[in-house]
Amino acid sequence: MGPIRSAAEPAASGDADLDKLLTMVARGDRDAFETVYDRLAGPVYGLIRKVLRDPSQSEEVAQEVLLEVWRTASRFDPGRGSAATWALTIAHRRAIDRVRSETAAATREQRSASAPVEVDEVAESVEATMEAERVRRCLDGLSELQRESITLAYYGGYSYPQVAALLDTALGTIKTRIRDGLARLRDCLGVSW
Amino acid sequence: MRGLGSVVVGSGAGRHLHALAGAYALDALDGAERTRFERHLRRCQACEAEVRGFAATAAALAMATAVEPPPGLKARVLAAAEVTRQAPPAVAVRRRAAPAIRRSPWVPRLALAVGAGGIAAAVALGVIQASTQHRLDSALAYSKEIASVLAAPDARITAARTSVGGTTIAVVSHDQRQLVFTSTGLPPLPSSQVYQLWLLGPGTARSAGLLPPASGGKTPPVLASGVRVDDKVGVTVEPAGGTSSPTTTPIVVMTLPV
Repeated sequence: MGPIRSAAEPAASGDADLDKLLTMVARGDRDAFETVYDRLAGPVYGLIRKVLRDPSQSEEVAQEVLLEVWRTASRFDPGRGSAATWALTIAHRRAIDRVRSETAAATREQRSASAPVEVDEVAESVEATMEAERVRRCLDGLSELQRESITLAYYGGYSYPQVAALLDTALGTIKTRIRDGLARLRDCLGVSW
Repeated sequence: MRGLGSVVVGSGAGRHLHALAGAYALDALDGAERTRFERHLRRCQACEAEVRGFAATAAALAMATAVEPPPGLKARVLAAAEVTRQAPPAVAVRRRAAPAIRRSPWVPRLALAVGAGGIAAAVALGVIQASTQHRLDSALAYSKEIASVLAAPDARITAARTSVGGTTIAVVSHDQRQLVFTSTGLPPLPSSQVYQLWLLGPGTARSAGLLPPASGGKTPPVLASGVRVDDKVGVTVEPAGGTSSPTTTPIVVMTLPV
């Protein structure tokens, strides 16, 4: 195994590596898991933090997710997507589960008022790494409604009816803007799947 | 498949559902609608391919958020992995009916994964250390209770580092009002002292028993009952035999996930 990479390093080049590492993790390889941790902990924690905001809750959920990666590595199927996508899908779902749980409901209510500001903040913090720069450029290439719908849903953790309410736009419109915007993002990023 | 033009969509309800592929990939569907879409997804290859591409796109959005994780996280994750049995691969014949990623929390599946034989689970967890039949029987009964906590639909896990080193881990089911506690890497104590487990409520401390001696650096799982929602879990070092209330500063206090 090569040297451990920093978590912020773009995944694209090392996707196949990570897939292989995860199959080693599935067989109980602890060293492989440590490398997987080093590669994924940054984005896993960053994403959860973006959605939940609260650092200690985010750390707790990130820990659950990373342990889940260890525990269910055998369920990862390279035929269905990359290891990074698999892990980050789990991370986002767990963050969303937390957002939509009853305990979080009250604080979310208070936050929704400042939601449009969050969009800017998200765009502002998308930086630093090349990957982030690429994502930012591609986000900039979307229409404003596409970009806002996608960032509110994904980074903000809002359901699409909530996004529709926040943007004061018809449900059906949001639905198609999210889908069209994602298709454009996908093509802009040259995502392989 | 690139762009929307090439997507083959059905008519009527199918078309309506297909339009949700984006929202689905961003986890922006709620309950019933998500279930309906997932059912549709199993029958619609074009949707599945589109969702796969969208999921990879969302992952790129996630990569862009990467920040340095908190310093203690790695040690806790690695320590927790050390005492967490891995799920076996899915070998179901109906592969498509078992998506690789599910939404339920992992803890219930921990117990499900070790399967019908509670014995395998008990051995894996290091519960059974008795040699006589009698002790084996009671250990098995105990392990069943532990498995039941791990299998609870509401089971949640938390872990923390202690002030003397090592990591403590608790899996709690508030529905069952029970938790399973274990630890790894706690420093060994002289025979005159023990680690004692406490349920710490507002202004109260209830003993949840003494930690059995570690084997291979790991404390065998301990079951604690009568857990209240606002309890925290603490560990203190006490004289051999334990005490009725803590006499030293806890080496760790864990807030239980709700």
